[in-house]
Amino acid sequence: MTRKVALFVTCLVDLMRPRIGFAAIRALEAAGCEVVVPEGQTCCGQPALNSGDRDHAVALAKQTIAALEPYEAVVVPSGSCAGTIRCHYSELFEHDAAWRARAQAVAGNTFEIMAYLDEVCGWKPEGVTVDARATYHDSCSGLRELGIKAQPRRLLKSVEGLRFAPLAGEETCCGFGGTFCVKYPAISNAIVGEKADAIDATGADLLLAGDLGCLMNMAGKLNRKGSKVRAFHAIELIAGMGDGPAIGEEA
Amino acid sequence: MSARDAILSRLKGAAPDKAEADALLVAPERPMVDEDALEAEFLARLALPSVSASHDAIDTIADLPAAVARYLDAQGEARSLCLPPDPRLMACDWRGFTLHDVAAPDEAAALAIARRGIAESGSLVFETSPQAPMLPNFLTLHHIVLLAVRDIAAHLEAAPLVGAQPRAHYWITGVSGTTDIEGSYVRGAHGPRFLHVILLREQ
Amino acid sequence: MSGFTASFKDRADAALADPILKVAVERTAGTAQAKRAVAVEAFPDFEAARDRAAAIKDHVIAHLGAYLEEFEANAIAAGARVHWASTTDEACRIVIDICKAAGAKSVARSKSMLGEEIGLPHALAEAGIGRVETDLAEHIIQLADERPSHIIWPAMHKTREQVSALFKAKHRSPHQEETIAAMAESARRELRTQMLGADVGISGANFLIADTGAICTVTNEGNAELSLVPPRVHIVTAGIEKIVPSMPHAIHMLRMLARSATGAALTQYTTFYTGPKRVGDRDGPEAMHIVLVDNGRTKMREEGLAEMLRCIRCGACMNHCVVFRQIGGHAYGGTYPGPMGAVLTPVFDGLKESRELASACTLNGKCQEVCPVRIPLPTLLKGWREKSWREGLEPRSMRWGLGVWAWVARRPALYRFGTGVAVRAMQMLGKTGWINRLPLAGGWTQYRDMPKPAPQTFMNQYKKERRR
Repeated sequence: MTRKVALFVTCLVDLMRPRIGFAAIRALEAAGCEVVVPEGQTCCGQPALNSGDRDHAVALAKQTIAALEPYEAVVVPSGSCAGTIRCHYSELFEHDAAWRARAQAVAGNTFEIMAYLDEVCGWKPEGVTVDARATYHDSCSGLRELGIKAQPRRLLKSVEGLRFAPLAGEETCCGFGGTFCVKYPAISNAIVGEKADAIDATGADLLLAGDLGCLMNMAGKLNRKGSKVRAFHAIELIAGMGDGPAIGEEA
Repeated sequence: MSARDAILSRLKGAAPDKAEADALLVAPERPMVDEDALEAEFLARLALPSVSASHDAIDTIADLPAAVARYLDAQGEARSLCLPPDPRLMACDWRGFTLHDVAAPDEAAALAIARRGIAESGSLVFETSPQAPMLPNFLTLHHIVLLAVRDIAAHLEAAPLVGAQPRAHYWITGVSGTTDIEGSYVRGAHGPRFLHVILLREQ
Repeated sequence: MSGFTASFKDRADAALADPILKVAVERTAGTAQAKRAVAVEAFPDFEAARDRAAAIKDHVIAHLGAYLEEFEANAIAAGARVHWASTTDEACRIVIDICKAAGAKSVARSKSMLGEEIGLPHALAEAGIGRVETDLAEHIIQLADERPSHIIWPAMHKTREQVSALFKAKHRSPHQEETIAAMAESARRELRTQMLGADVGISGANFLIADTGAICTVTNEGNAELSLVPPRVHIVTAGIEKIVPSMPHAIHMLRMLARSATGAALTQYTTFYTGPKRVGDRDGPEAMHIVLVDNGRTKMREEGLAEMLRCIRCGACMNHCVVFRQIGGHAYGGTYPGPMGAVLTPVFDGLKESRELASACTLNGKCQEVCPVRIPLPTLLKGWREKSWREGLEPRSMRWGLGVWAWVARRPALYRFGTGVAVRAMQMLGKTGWINRLPLAGGWTQYRDMPKPAPQTFMNQYKKERRR
């Protein structure tokens, strides 16, 4: 039976690194899914939600729910956006039973990409080779809201030639925090500075993670300090697109 | 309106259901203790770095003065002791000791009897009474504690007294310590720098 | 007592520029984090224990009025006097009046964050009553005339070198040897006579036991007992949320508190005081007064912050907070720093003055993960953000920017067009794959590079590919 899934691309992937969206489609298709990209999607509304702008958060949540509810499964290449839909949408409709029910229905069908491939599809990449040493950062929302920890590691284990260098403080926040890094750039910088040092200390060639926001933060800091570590979303490697340009490299 | 009325008027609600409060205590999560080896379990906790207590053992309370003398001699301290007016201690033969019933600010050692020892944490349990002042146990450099092995219990739930409470009920779990300067552990911040437990094994 | 002398950003910048602060915070918080991890690992089912601890506190908060009355009746029956205070001023006035009635010239204080919250050190000074802080860290803070920077380690921001210089300047017979042990010994010498000579001992309470009327203090130094046994009068100031139904409930909370704070199984000294000294007792105070303080707690319970009343002041949230670890406690400006402080400070000092604290958080969730009573700290912080937004306290640039973005994001066709234009425009900003300086995002590119977006958005590329 073919699984029909909707891809929620996320605004950051749409805008900054479309490769992640295409990698997600490729992996999902390899896992036997039929992928559609719903037209009505833009952003899940997390920036408004986390800034306290409830009205806009509600408006964008409604738009997103309406765009995604026709599908039996929604897959998101970001732990933090998937977390918003899964864990926080229904909180927005505390006093609106009809929308709360719709929010809960979509929440129950929404999955982070690697959790979906690993846990729902029981799929593993086959014939994918990357000859490199990688280190992995656990992005906070995925880790603590959705329990994304073992799934990416299981998938990446099937990538031939890929070795692992454990990252000290792999579960420590990188200092991105959405609007936090814009509001408090100096504090954010101090945090990501330590993260970049820890990444460099692993001696890894590649930095992998499951959230583009965190990756841009860490890769941007690594590049500024002259590090040679290259950063990818884990799904790019899993989908066999690890031979392409890393974050910040010209295509 | 008094502050009391103002506060309580905002906290009106159903009286707590005793059964509900009790239900919160069923099968509490707590450190594992081998109930058949309470003395060994207790001594293992007593030796932990955060507790840092030494110990000795005697077979009868008549041997207590000799054990205290042994400890003080080994520490290079004079045989001088703040002794609470507990009849069990007064009945011992303290010849050769200088005894004080009140601890001076620079008193070197005090002796006390613990009502219980708690294996899960290596704690000693005390209460105040006319026979048991509290201050000496915090003031002196050496705190020497007599604990009957049969009074060792597995868990802290055995520590409280049932019924009327004394002025103070207290648990001592190791020597006075501080980590207030750079998180670095130092013994003897204000209270005893040494805690010595003498186990009484008589049946 | 707040210390909003500069903006949060200025205070944070000053903290970031202080390399000594970073070293000091890292030494203590780092050790605490490591020790907690070992203790939690060794404890059978710490997660279930956290559930139980949260349930105990929730039960108490739901029946707070009844438990307070039960506590009061039992404390009075044991001979204590019980006072109630709605505000910080009321609480201080009660304490000062008791001190004056007792003819007190000096008080010995055992560290209490509630005492800091109500501004007791200041009130005592104004009343001309001498105060000796007996906790080693509070002693350091008193000598330096500073404020605590952490709820468990108030002098966390100080290095050993700074403490050494302070003691040498202020102690009568200071240490000779430059070791932490010698410094602690110097404080022991200095404080002992002052403690034993105090007229009144003042403490907080870690727990109030409803069914016995006892108050519980925990210390590692033994300073609480040395401060509270010799004086004629013992005054307790405690928040009304400190109640637990009975001793077995307190025991569960104590197991959680010590492990979460320092990684120990218990603090060295855990004492339950029930009333003043009894007939025939050799020591203990003639009188015991307990001041139950509201200061916004009933309001927290009514206005969506009931979960915060679970807090047992262990400090784990701040020890594990990436922001606290960078800026230390003083930058927060309130009595309580770190995640729990960012939730509490708007209650005590007003949202207008402290709204930035809620924003200065990455919402990474680590604080909630280590909280022994499962307080959803990120959710509560988001609640403050929402209130701040609703009340128009957020800067206009932020409101305007987010408003425009959301307006566009609600129109998918316009959004596709706008994002398409934006990514093409951004191609101009970097010669390589990196942008080193980005208009409107200077905060980002001041410290790190921004990857240049692909020339086409995902949606546009995807549509083209589908058409092929």
